[in-house]
Amino acid sequence: MWRYIARRLLQTIPVVLGSTLLIYAMVFLQPGDPIVALFGEKPVSEATRAQLMAQYNLDQPFIVQWLLFLKGALVGDFGIAYSGQPVSELIARALPVTFQLAVMALIFEAVLGVVAGFYAGLRRGKIFDSTMLVVSLIVIAVPIFVLGFMMQLVFGIQLQWVPATVGSNTSFTNMILPALVLGLVSFAYVLRLTRTSVIENLTADHVRTARAHGVPDGMVNRRHVLRNSMIPVVTFLGADLGALMAGAVVTEGIFNINGIGNLAYQAILRGENPTVVSVVTVMVIIYVVTSLLVDLLYAVLDPRIRYA
Amino acid sequence: MTQPLLQIRDLHIAFTSGKKDVPAVRGVDLTVYPGQTVAIVGESGSGKSTTAHAVIDLLPGTGHVTAGSIEFDGVDLMKLGGRRRRSYRGDRIGLVPQDPMSNLNPLYRVGAQIKEVLEVNDVARGKAADRRVVELLEEAGLGDAEARAKQYPHEYSGGMRQRALIAAGLAARPQLLIADEPTSALDVTVQKQILDHLDGLTDELGVAVLLITHDLGLAAERADHLVVMYKGQVVESGPALQILRDPQHPYSQRLISSAPSLRSRRLAASERAEVREEATEAALEVAEDTIAEASEFGGEATGPVIRATDLTKVFKLPGKGFSKRDFTAVDSVSFALERGTTTAIVGESGSGKSTVARMVLDLLEPTSGTVEFDGVDVGSIRTRAQQLDFRRRVQPVFQNPYASLDPMYSIYRSIEEPLRLHGVGTGKERERKIRDLLDKVSLPGAVMSRYPNELSGGQRQRVAIARALALDPEVVVLDEAVSALDVLVQAQILKLLNDLQAELGLSYLFITHDLAVVRQIADQVLVMQKGRVVEQAGSLEVFDHPREEYTKRLLAAIPGRSVEPAS
Amino acid sequence: MPETTSLPGQTHFVAPSSETPLQATGMVDTSAPPEGQWKEAWKVLRRNWLFWVSAILLLFILVVVCFPGLFTGVDPRQSMLSKSLQGPQSGHPFGFDKQGYDVYSRVVYGARASVVVGLLTTVIVTVIGLFTGAVAGFFGRWVDALVSRIADIFFAIPLLLAAIVGLSALNNVWPDRGYWGGVLAVVFALAAFGWPQVTRIARGAVLEIRGLEFVDASRAIGASKWRNLFSHIIPNSLAPVIVTATVSLGVYIVAEATLSFLGIGLPPSIVSWGNDIAAAQSQVRSGDNLHVLFAPAGALAVTVLSFMLLGDAVRDALDPKARK
Repeated sequence: MWRYIARRLLQTIPVVLGSTLLIYAMVFLQPGDPIVALFGEKPVSEATRAQLMAQYNLDQPFIVQWLLFLKGALVGDFGIAYSGQPVSELIARALPVTFQLAVMALIFEAVLGVVAGFYAGLRRGKIFDSTMLVVSLIVIAVPIFVLGFMMQLVFGIQLQWVPATVGSNTSFTNMILPALVLGLVSFAYVLRLTRTSVIENLTADHVRTARAHGVPDGMVNRRHVLRNSMIPVVTFLGADLGALMAGAVVTEGIFNINGIGNLAYQAILRGENPTVVSVVTVMVIIYVVTSLLVDLLYAVLDPRIRYA
Repeated sequence: MTQPLLQIRDLHIAFTSGKKDVPAVRGVDLTVYPGQTVAIVGESGSGKSTTAHAVIDLLPGTGHVTAGSIEFDGVDLMKLGGRRRRSYRGDRIGLVPQDPMSNLNPLYRVGAQIKEVLEVNDVARGKAADRRVVELLEEAGLGDAEARAKQYPHEYSGGMRQRALIAAGLAARPQLLIADEPTSALDVTVQKQILDHLDGLTDELGVAVLLITHDLGLAAERADHLVVMYKGQVVESGPALQILRDPQHPYSQRLISSAPSLRSRRLAASERAEVREEATEAALEVAEDTIAEASEFGGEATGPVIRATDLTKVFKLPGKGFSKRDFTAVDSVSFALERGTTTAIVGESGSGKSTVARMVLDLLEPTSGTVEFDGVDVGSIRTRAQQLDFRRRVQPVFQNPYASLDPMYSIYRSIEEPLRLHGVGTGKERERKIRDLLDKVSLPGAVMSRYPNELSGGQRQRVAIARALALDPEVVVLDEAVSALDVLVQAQILKLLNDLQAELGLSYLFITHDLAVVRQIADQVLVMQKGRVVEQAGSLEVFDHPREEYTKRLLAAIPGRSVEPAS
Repeated sequence: MPETTSLPGQTHFVAPSSETPLQATGMVDTSAPPEGQWKEAWKVLRRNWLFWVSAILLLFILVVVCFPGLFTGVDPRQSMLSKSLQGPQSGHPFGFDKQGYDVYSRVVYGARASVVVGLLTTVIVTVIGLFTGAVAGFFGRWVDALVSRIADIFFAIPLLLAAIVGLSALNNVWPDRGYWGGVLAVVFALAAFGWPQVTRIARGAVLEIRGLEFVDASRAIGASKWRNLFSHIIPNSLAPVIVTATVSLGVYIVAEATLSFLGIGLPPSIVSWGNDIAAAQSQVRSGDNLHVLFAPAGALAVTVLSFMLLGDAVRDALDPKARK
């Protein structure tokens, strides 16, 4: 087990290095004046110029710049943003908001997706199953920003059940609608995955054997079918936390939430490259850590998996 | 007069395909008395398992009973509603399923799964149930039952899982136990242990057993009453020994004459001697021709065609920490394969027999030791010409008829591939050759345009043999080539292999787990256990005077030995 | 032989042999035409009405993409400001947007950018993913480790963020790129980070096929590794890759729209569903003029839905478990 964790951690090192290098290169390795790339076409005095060159290590070769960035990132120092604030502070402010949003979305998609998928799988081909399949397809096919916008219009503006935008008040009730929107697509995937998995497990040999031993249908479905179907679903959910946080950029835009996605998006539009690189680095680390946790969770769920 | 425990009358079962009902079982009558063992014998697709599943109302997919009655203890189960019908499961009718690997839920401890059976059938609950689980596991022959109950199925071997399934099947003390091919996935020695144990247990508890099996020898040995099924119908039923000694229906007759374990030893030996005589003669001619044609290999026509010396294969497995652990799969195996003869390597799973085959085929590099082909060390082959020559002259036929042909290739393309690769002949010549090869393996030329998924297992294996023979090889390595086939098909393929050997002078390396088929095809036998050769002798010698304890155990485990029919 | 006394129901019974005539073991049924795996899949597909619905829709969409002029005579860039935000009327079934553009005409002309992005991205991603996955799965060892780690690097950066960063970088190095340049930029940005998903699926499929006996049989006749890879292993691992491709086509169309919605995908000068949906958002704030939003969003949804349904139908046809 420890050996497996050690090996997995070793494997993630080249991944983190490679991903940050890739992003770094896309952002900084561009023709033209680096100061322009950093701060746009504003006239800059020689003195400021020299100071900026030194501050962002622009006088160094590209690889050295990247290494220096990594060195800073290791201790949580992502440099200074355009506004003069440390990037780490910006991230520290935005990250919990997005995390809250993503976790709420995850709970919503997990609960509704699993329950609906389980009943759809048990009643394969019946009306509930068909309805759920159509609903899931529509949710996947209609872009999230259209759905989000419509829900904002209906529940926020017309019915006024919830505020239409969130702004700085990230209370639970304010975040319900954005979380629903954010989790909607994944809800459809969870539903379909659970359904497929349930249908597969219903015909498993050990399920038939349990029935032959006299275990009542309801108990067989809960204890054997559902429990065994959960393995791929939980794996998906675990990996989805990172994806939700990264995908929050659209939802945060619609509902005006000051989360990490919004931060990254604004930074890209304004050309605040240090912030962009830092946020993406944080997202990569979140992805890498969650996928490691998912692998370990897998071992907990499935006793067959023993990482040696 | 005792009442029948189970009485099936005129049972019809069909599967719905599209809008049509396809009958699978047609008019089966069957009676089981309390404490009796009744066996249903048949090949795959005969409807034997379907009949059994109908009794516990667990027909798969679209299967449904279309007519007939199933009376259990005087009650017609077909007339009962769903809930009352299901109440018969577990505590009145138990099941021991076929495949021990897939019939335990991998996510729960074994003890918990047996406890579940006790609880749902109101036998015991809580702590009492826990204690009972341990007793049941002990009763099923598992040592250290208390610790075993806390383990997961994947920590069990196949035999242990089957014992756990027996414990679960008998947990609620049913009056009837349906044993559906309970040991067909296990090694013969384990099979015997488990069946002996099951016999003892059901005798002691007075449980009636409905045994489903494809193995006539096994059925005759274990059952009082036999029911032979063929294509969904009962073709013959009656007292086991009577059917075995004096089968009346042509199908039962054919089944008995084909079962390798039931065939007369002397007859097999004399037939084999004839084949060998012709084959060695033919092989000598072939060898002389090859030498005259200046082959890539040296060698003389009289020496063995394959000689393995001290073959060893060590695999590196992950061990504790970061270290690797050595696993010796094959340990200094030596043998010689004489031209025109068959050497069989016999062993149970994990004996290393298939690893030997892969090394002989040069698909796996030995850790140490050598394989010589025609006097030349195969490991020293460097030139492409020499490699192709070796490949041409040594060909494999593998076990699984469903995986040994590329599903995307038509039969024609499959057999043509070796010819094309070795640049043999023009398109027209190749087509003639393929027709000729199909003819040799008794397949009509029309199969050329077919795809593997359209053929049965036996037919696919014939195609695989035709493909192996395409390059006119001298050695064919048959890795469990008949193991996955039904008895009748198996007998046919064995006969085909013998005929081909006599005609073409082929030398066979025959890998198998089934000692019973060995005497029909082999001249020399190597018995392997855990990577080592434990006994090596002529085929008759091994059967008549086994020296090693392990060989004796293997022989004793062949089902049906005790009931050898009058010949 | 001692005759055992039989109990009722257990007397020796022999069926008349005329009732179940013995068939020769191993007969070949040559009555039906030969069928390979693909033909059989086609047979399953042919019976699925969802396949026909989606196929006909997609065919129709393809015609719209190639020949938009067949469906409207109105120029999508012709502004009639006097009709700004007017509803449906004769000759203009979806009305006008704020700029006075004909919404129907824009929906028709907008199909091209969206569908081309989806198709091209999927083709590129599938080719790269199939090749890298097959090589990694087949050769194993360090090749696998190398390919898998590189794929991980691209996979670790969330697709949407990566595409946004990539596109903003492309904006700097390739500012004025015209219609096809604009489309290609989005394709590159999505494809650059989308291929690892296909790599993983192809690798898994190849690992499964690699161990099958026909691969060994092919080696045993002297076929080289590459020959084996291209003539046996890749063709047999195609099924799951094709299924992924059909489904992800829809996903990429949605991704393009999302990028355009964020203002960083296709330049506003290109008529596309994504751009129009983005523009519509500000025009329907309070719930009026919904036609401006629903027309492009509906067209996009129908297109994506068709690809998804096709993917589902293809999976059902190719899945070995679904067949006998």
